Amino acid sequence: MPTAPATLRYADHRLDEAQEALADVFSTFFERECPVERVRAAEPGGFDAALWGQLVDMAAPAMGVPEEAGGDGAGLADLVLVTEPLGRRLAPVPLVEVSAAARLLARCGPPATDTLAAALDGRHLVTLALHPGRPGQPQLVPAGAVADAVVALVGDELVLVTGTGRPAANHGDTPIAWWDLDGTAGSRTVLATGDEARRLVAGAVSEWKLLTAAALVGLADQATRIAIEHARTRTAFGAPIGTFQAVSHALVDVHMDTETARRLVRKAAWFADREPGTDGHRIPMAYLHAAETAMRAGTVGVHVLGGMGFTLEADEQLYFRRAKGWTLVAGDPRAELAAIADALYGPPTTR
Amino acid sequence: MDFSTVDLSPEDKAFTEEVREFCDRHITEEVLDEERRTGNGFNLGLHLALGERGWILPTWPVEDGGAGLSYLQARILDRELRDREAPMISFGTTTMILPAVLQWGADELKADVVPKVASGHARFCLGYSEPDSGSDIAAAKTRAVRDGDEWVIDGQKMWTTGAQNCQYTFLITRTNPDASKHKGLTMFLCPLDDVEIQAVSTLGGERTNMVFYDGIRLADRYRLGPVDQGWMVLLGPLNQEHAMGEVQAGVPLEVAGGHSYGHAAALAVEAAAEWAATPDADGRRPIDDPVVRQRLARAALQLEIATCSEGPIGRIVTSETSIAVSEDMLGLVGPAGLLAHGEPGAVADGILEYLHRFAQGTATYGGTTDIHRNIIAERFLGLPRGGVAPKSPVG
Repeated sequence: MPTAPATLRYADHRLDEAQEALADVFSTFFERECPVERVRAAEPGGFDAALWGQLVDMAAPAMGVPEEAGGDGAGLADLVLVTEPLGRRLAPVPLVEVSAAARLLARCGPPATDTLAAALDGRHLVTLALHPGRPGQPQLVPAGAVADAVVALVGDELVLVTGTGRPAANHGDTPIAWWDLDGTAGSRTVLATGDEARRLVAGAVSEWKLLTAAALVGLADQATRIAIEHARTRTAFGAPIGTFQAVSHALVDVHMDTETARRLVRKAAWFADREPGTDGHRIPMAYLHAAETAMRAGTVGVHVLGGMGFTLEADEQLYFRRAKGWTLVAGDPRAELAAIADALYGPPTTR
Repeated sequence: MDFSTVDLSPEDKAFTEEVREFCDRHITEEVLDEERRTGNGFNLGLHLALGERGWILPTWPVEDGGAGLSYLQARILDRELRDREAPMISFGTTTMILPAVLQWGADELKADVVPKVASGHARFCLGYSEPDSGSDIAAAKTRAVRDGDEWVIDGQKMWTTGAQNCQYTFLITRTNPDASKHKGLTMFLCPLDDVEIQAVSTLGGERTNMVFYDGIRLADRYRLGPVDQGWMVLLGPLNQEHAMGEVQAGVPLEVAGGHSYGHAAALAVEAAAEWAATPDADGRRPIDDPVVRQRLARAALQLEIATCSEGPIGRIVTSETSIAVSEDMLGLVGPAGLLAHGEPGAVADGILEYLHRFAQGTATYGGTTDIHRNIIAERFLGLPRGGVAPKSPVG
């Protein structure tokens, strides 16, 4: 039974020089500018206005916007190299949301031109609703607590809703907020309608998931590193606990998950850039694997740190809480299994 | 990063066709049936035919017994052979050991053996494990004692897969019992003419062997590398087996499962997907059941994770994915999944039942997954080496 795919493909996961340089710039930036004290200082609101201002000054939100729309024309394969180090430092900035929303606005053409320009220069902070809006039913929106506009699918229309959200205390100390997407509190502008609107929103939500997946890889990697450092230095029964295989193998397992999740994320980004519209299973796979990996890394990390890991003093708990906090706002990541099945095996036949 | 489709030149396309015709001729249903029956991991006719074309050492120059193929063509060849389930275990051990023979062997030995490797007439198997030591390779007790120009070998090896089809074994012996564990070892390319071979049958259907060395006399020219420095000689093939070697020259190509151990997962997902798309007697397709969809999607995700893994991580992930996925997919298809190959009504002609058994061995071959976790912990994560755990065999 032949299993080789019909086409022979390269499987080259190495970054090129420009990509290495880009990853290096943002790794250095987040490492220097976002020590863990800054993450703690931004709790519980999950937003550091000064850090966000620095990123806007660096034109980071414009990176993924096409050049003709005022951006740098970077693809998803570049953007995931930016959000991974963001995740590693738990940076309290809405770069994932604003990048996904800005790319969506750029695809909307003239009705969104002014909003896009204002989003790129920091006059407005535009985010994305991850679920269809229903009249009279407020929705939890990521970065909704710091945004003054939300792009959302409501009924048959892609709309830009302005106003303010109602922040809500939450597990991950992230800036999620309730938004009424019917526009009763502010203005409401239609950007697209019908199938076009649905296609645009689905694409933006998918990009949000991919950029979040990269952030989750960074989160998982750092959560594991914190635990490794502890396992190297903490002694029990006369030996560093990292010599016990019950400890070291658990750390190896989450390390393996992290390495493979990074590869799935970058590969999915490459396909989305180079062969868009094909291989619909790749982003759901990358997102689900990254989400589960981040949750496992946080769980193993908290456990390896022992009693200290259960205290709020331990940085590990910051990672643990964001593993769920960053993902569940989009719904349970395990729902991606249905999307994977649809893409690989076609939609189910209903009888 | 590059995941694009390989643009095959007209020569590469013609070569692919040539390989496919070769496979049609030499990997027949009879060959595959014999393999299922015997678990030899080898077929003499196929191996000699590969040798005749220079395809055992495909990138070597023609004058040295190779075929002068490009790296890409060699990958095409390897992929087609694997895809057709060619029995290749002794092929794999032979080519894994050859670099150590080239590096450490006496000129006289190389002049004798290397052309026969290229033609297919000489095959090598691995003489590492013993009844009392497996992954802990350096604990080998088989003795080699010098007697004039010869050595006398006494001991027993285990899991010498392919011994019945090979001419030599890459033998690890203890030459200095007083030296520390890794310091008193010497490697030989030991002819198998006078040894006693006893077959061992496995859960996965492969045949392996116990091999008894009872006062075997061996000329010194069969020694590989310096006396008592066998560990150094062993490291090359061992690193390759542990997926620790340098990435081969050229650009890597996608392989389903990412590693030969992942092939079982790829076959299992494919067989289950085909089963799920086939309507039952009532016209219902299993794939329309949400539970079946989720399990298939999860298996496909695991397979993609394995496909994207390499190195020691790949060795672990592909093996454990094959174990988990083959079990899950066998369960998914229900009672008729139990039926053996050739039995009427067997789902996917029994392949899931076979893969479920076969996959278990992959976690042990070539150093267990546990040993590889130690390697990753020590060498990649910088965790301290355990007091009770043996020294990681990669140094």
